[in-house]
Amino acid sequence: MSKENESFLSSIESNKGIIYKVANSYCKDADDRADLVQEIILQLWKAFPSFQPDYKLSTWMYRIALNVAISAYRKASNRCQIYQPLSETAIYLAEDKSLANDNRDLLQSLIRELKEVDKALILLYLDGYLYSEIGEILGISESNVATKLSRIKQQLKQKITSY
Amino acid sequence: MQDIQLQEIWKSYDRKLEEQLVFNRKNASDITKMKVKSELTSMRPIKIFTVLLGILWIIFLDVLVINLLPIGNLFFLISAGFISLVNKIAVGIYLYQLILIYVVNINRPVMSTQKKIAGLTTSTLWVTRILMLQLPFWTTFFLNSSWIGSANPFFWGIQALITLAFAAVSIWLFINIRYENRDKPWFKFLFGSYEWTPIMKAQEMLVQIKDYEKLEPIITN
Repeated sequence: MSKENESFLSSIESNKGIIYKVANSYCKDADDRADLVQEIILQLWKAFPSFQPDYKLSTWMYRIALNVAISAYRKASNRCQIYQPLSETAIYLAEDKSLANDNRDLLQSLIRELKEVDKALILLYLDGYLYSEIGEILGISESNVATKLSRIKQQLKQKITSY
Repeated sequence: MQDIQLQEIWKSYDRKLEEQLVFNRKNASDITKMKVKSELTSMRPIKIFTVLLGILWIIFLDVLVINLLPIGNLFFLISAGFISLVNKIAVGIYLYQLILIYVVNINRPVMSTQKKIAGLTTSTLWVTRILMLQLPFWTTFFLNSSWIGSANPFFWGIQALITLAFAAVSIWLFINIRYENRDKPWFKFLFGSYEWTPIMKAQEMLVQIKDYEKLEPIITN
């Protein structure tokens, strides 16, 4: 295995949560999710040589993962025809059971209901990114992030409270 | 509910993922050996094939028009010329799409990248609209100017009706094949098939991006 390959796999391992969270937010179906994880890793690998070390790895990963997830959702139902399916996925939950918790499940399902760009915005916010970092990943201004985020949070909070 | 509570729920999800998420190094390594076949690259072969087919068709029409220019009748020259022009525009748009496929970079910010990809997908709708404009000329290319004085007026009446009907339908389709009409029964009948779904979804994405652009322009770098 080449040094570049080793370095890439280590980067993926240390940021596997990002890939899983993005895939899980954009795909409810387990098979679609596995395909999306595969496509994200593939595109990250393809883009890896152009990664600038002075750039934050997680930010770079989020940018690519979101771009892949948002582009892929348009083809959701025939995704398997595009990719060469592997027998098992690279990132998965150890126990094949949901992370059962009412609030967590509810938040997950509410996030899945959001529009694609709004979903990206709230994912980044919940993952603790600063407005400036969210703006950098999405390509919008900080004030745009703040305005939109405030509306999305309001929307989520109202729905959670009403349940 | 406070923001902090929202973040707390997310943090608990994070903690659970931390405990249960598994990384299969071998599978990930296998993925890096796969041939890259993304949504964009999968669009490439069909577009190249369409462009090549379009170019051959245009060459055929143009050769026909040029060679028949001295002897051909006016109806044929105008009809074939217009059909060729419409197809040239369509091929031009397809070529533009192909160029875009090569320049789209998923390393770039999400909004600008998605705007490019969605624009690329929805331009297919434009090609369809433009191609509709050639419809009436398919009803006139075989006519002969020498028939004007000699043919039965009934024939000309029927011919005029057919051509006008095709012209009306083509103009109507050119104007109405738009995302805004996606829920109309005729639109669903014509474009309800599986192949059109990504185009409609791409248009939805452009609407979402426009919603963000209302506040401030998106950043491309």
